[in-house]
Amino acid sequence: MSDLFDLPFEEEEDEDVVDSPQLTVDTPRSTVDGQSTVDSGPSRRRILSVTELTIQLRDLLETQFFEVWVEGELSNCRVWNTGHLYFTLKDQSSQLRGLMFRSALRYLKFKPTDGTRVVARGKISVYEPKGEYQLVCEHLEPQGLGALQLAFDQLKKRLQAEGLFDTARKRPLPALPRKIGIVTSLEGAAIRDMIKVLRRRYANAHLVICPARVQGAEAAPDIARALRQIGRVSGVDVVIVGRGGGSIEDLWAFNEEMVARAISRVPVPVISAVGHETDVTIADFAADVRAPTPSAAAEIVVAAKNEFCNRIDRLHGRLHAAARGRVQSLSRRAHAVSGRPAFAGFPGRLAMRGRHTAELTHALARVVRATFAGRARRLQQLERHLATFDAGRRLESIRTRLVSSDGRLGSAVRRAHYRAEAQLGNIAGRLDTLSPLAVLGRGYSVAWNADKTRVLRDASGVSVGDTVRVTLSRGELGCEVTGRTLAENTKDTKGAEGADDTE
Amino acid sequence: MDTSIKDFEAAIGELESIVKKLEEGDLPLEQSLALYERGVQLSRFCHARLEEAERRIEILNERGELKRAPASLVDESDRA
Repeated sequence: MSDLFDLPFEEEEDEDVVDSPQLTVDTPRSTVDGQSTVDSGPSRRRILSVTELTIQLRDLLETQFFEVWVEGELSNCRVWNTGHLYFTLKDQSSQLRGLMFRSALRYLKFKPTDGTRVVARGKISVYEPKGEYQLVCEHLEPQGLGALQLAFDQLKKRLQAEGLFDTARKRPLPALPRKIGIVTSLEGAAIRDMIKVLRRRYANAHLVICPARVQGAEAAPDIARALRQIGRVSGVDVVIVGRGGGSIEDLWAFNEEMVARAISRVPVPVISAVGHETDVTIADFAADVRAPTPSAAAEIVVAAKNEFCNRIDRLHGRLHAAARGRVQSLSRRAHAVSGRPAFAGFPGRLAMRGRHTAELTHALARVVRATFAGRARRLQQLERHLATFDAGRRLESIRTRLVSSDGRLGSAVRRAHYRAEAQLGNIAGRLDTLSPLAVLGRGYSVAWNADKTRVLRDASGVSVGDTVRVTLSRGELGCEVTGRTLAENTKDTKGAEGADDTE
Repeated sequence: MDTSIKDFEAAIGELESIVKKLEEGDLPLEQSLALYERGVQLSRFCHARLEEAERRIEILNERGELKRAPASLVDESDRA
């Protein structure tokens, strides 16, 4: 600092004159130092260039106001394409130009916006080309809400609007989480808590841990990197990301946008597990499932696994029960049936290694036997049913029908018989009337030639003196023709009969 | 045999429907047998997958390599 600058400021204070600095400089000099000073004026006078003065001012200000805290309201906030932030800080009556370099801006948790009341920390500097002094800001802190809270609210609002937290985006946990990815620090209690829970309650859990820094400025990019990496490990079907409890600053990485985005890009469901139950982070909103603590995240995985086991066991039990339900006895039948090739093939096809395997094979054999037994039992039931009900009833009905048939047959035969008898009588009667003997009975007789080969119908067929035979109703006569009368029509049988009648 | 089983969800779903069929249906012997066989197969598939997961803890380093976790990380919580 130069003397030249010291002097007028000190003088100014001494004189307590504010309105006309020009005068105050001149007057005291003449008063205090006397004429000699004024006379030697030209020789002592130093003329500064604007730049020189400006540099001297800058040096003065930067030294004097090396670190100041100033409170005011932000306005004219603007980030230039250089990445630096320019703004004006003001109160009711004054303004202060401000600048925040990109390097410092990077660490700001919230986005400076017009109207925000802030406390700015920085130094006063001079922008030489314009002769303006300004605040070179190193840190901004919003008043009222904490900076972190504001940053949290802003990011939450933004990502929410973007749809990153939508329920529709939430993926369900796998039915059976087998390979569990964990992104956290290897230091601290969180990882040990999770391992403890998983080892105790999920005996053969397979964990893949991708260590990441979870605290400090490098934490967010490191967590994002670890999430990307673990998402690429084949077979990992769920990822837990988190850390143990701490202050809001400690947990801050989980409120960073890049972590939220990395979570949303993991190809499998993500469980967030940050801090304690009361700590809610942006990561929690972005994750598919929020666990209140790391241990709770492990419990969630265990619960999913247990639910899966229970479902399988229940189904397994029902599968067997479905078989047993039909089976009570008849195992010998089952054994007989079990000789079948279809059954014999089962154990071979299902040959498995290990104890569990053997159990299952046994279970299957039991099930199959049970099935056969069930079938066999049903068959026997059917047989019994048939014997006791169907056959018996049917036989009886047949017998009844037979008996009735018998009767009906008898009466039918009898009816036929009667009918035949009647017919026979009738026919006999008719035969009776038709019999020549009956005619003879009425007094007619039949005349034959001598050797009884021809019935005589015409008198011309015999000569006087011939022998004729006459059949009577009872007995027969041998007669000698003593005369004959010829009929006019020799061929007329009536004539012959007539001739017979005359005899 | 597991090629016909897509994943757990599919396996469980199929097993559920088989059990249902067996529980309510009076199926022919051959069909019952086939269903039992399939059911046990599915159940075994699920159990096998359960057992398949290895009791293992690995560390994935920044180069993407998988290494066994240091004993210090697991010994105190390892009950076996």
